[in-house]
Amino acid sequence: MAPIVEVKNVRKVFGDLEVIKDISFTLDEGEVVCLIGPSGSGKSTMLRCMNRLEHIQGGAIKILGEDLHQVKNINVFRENIGMVFQHFNLFPNYTVLGNLTLAPTTLGKYGKDEAVKKAEALLERVGLSDKRDAFPATLSGGQKQRVAIARALAMDPKIMLFDEPTSALDPEMVGEVLDVMKALAKDGMTMMVVTHEMGFAREVARRVIFMDDGYIVEEAPPLEMFENPKTDRCRAFLSSVL
Amino acid sequence: MIVIEYFINFGKYIPALLKGARLTMIIALGGVALAVVIGVVLCIFAISGIRILQRIANFYITMVRGIPLMILALFLYFGVIKNSLNLVASAILILSINASAYMAEIFRAGIQAIDPGQMEAARSLGLGYFRTMQKIILPQAFKIMIPSLMNQFISSLKDTAILSAISVNELTMTAKVIIARNYKAFELYSYAAIMYLVIIAVLTYLSKIVERKLSYDKR
Repeated sequence: MAPIVEVKNVRKVFGDLEVIKDISFTLDEGEVVCLIGPSGSGKSTMLRCMNRLEHIQGGAIKILGEDLHQVKNINVFRENIGMVFQHFNLFPNYTVLGNLTLAPTTLGKYGKDEAVKKAEALLERVGLSDKRDAFPATLSGGQKQRVAIARALAMDPKIMLFDEPTSALDPEMVGEVLDVMKALAKDGMTMMVVTHEMGFAREVARRVIFMDDGYIVEEAPPLEMFENPKTDRCRAFLSSVL
Repeated sequence: MIVIEYFINFGKYIPALLKGARLTMIIALGGVALAVVIGVVLCIFAISGIRILQRIANFYITMVRGIPLMILALFLYFGVIKNSLNLVASAILILSINASAYMAEIFRAGIQAIDPGQMEAARSLGLGYFRTMQKIILPQAFKIMIPSLMNQFISSLKDTAILSAISVNELTMTAKVIIARNYKAFELYSYAAIMYLVIIAVLTYLSKIVERKLSYDKR
């Protein structure tokens, strides 16, 4: 089976700063991969390139067999790629339900009734049925992030990208978001997660990629990496966060 | 005695002054409405990311903000428009040129105040740039803009007094004309001031209501 995501020799430059120097990896369908590394290592940028929120200066990213950065109608193609942000980015001028139904109805993916039904099912899945008509400003951080996950899922993506989904949360709310992500992984979603939650990586990820200074330094199943890192840099990083 | 006389006189001049106030409102509303249109275009130029359009917007805004309205009015009316437009239309045009520069800045600041994450989140869901603007960015930006827009409207309303320089018969000009006949400067200018105050107090009150109606964060 061909991999669902193929990243090949990607290079990304901001002005004079080469953030991603040469990155290649693949994701298989249903695989959960965690991307870890010190801040400034380029992991968030890498994730954003996988949704074309950033343009790349070299290499190629193939998603579902198509070259992401050559796709003609990126808006249509983005249906396949759900994204969850560190700061949630819910739309404050819509209710929770509005956040979930806006894209599917505006883009004509579902009719109004169908979109609402689907949104309600998703809210139940993330445990927030009672917040259906609330505005984002009234939710806690953990609830906001669960809504954001549901919103991304409302477009039926094939891949979910998570950009430090728990970094902006109070510690007691991290668990509820990770639980939703774990359930999602169990249901077979292909996921790429930039995270500092090593517990999550250990439990859920099939592979962990350690990035530093624009390169992949190490790539291994979580147990192998955490118990027995091969490089000094990875060992130093892990000993500082574990 | 004097106080009573003051108010009796006020009553006497009210019909004439109200006529002037009516024209003041027409010029202010017309001018601001046109300024919104010009301001939106300028704002689009300014945030387009296309250098030549940005330069044009920047030039226009710098010019208009750097020239006193009185000079702008005299120059445009006597130097450019001459007899090609009637007085009221000229007044509306001049006021709108002045206000549009400030409007453009209000629009730009409002849009840029929205977290870029909103655009990214909407785009990542597959919404296009213009759809995102329409459904996500502009509704939020508009809410931020309301107090500034209201301020600008009040500002422009008061600026109409300067347009008496081109003899358009608005409230200030009406007062001036009456004073030329009877020399009652204290009375007539204070009557005009009271009428400006009342109009602006009412508008401020209305804008507070609109602002409250549009707030969703506090629910």
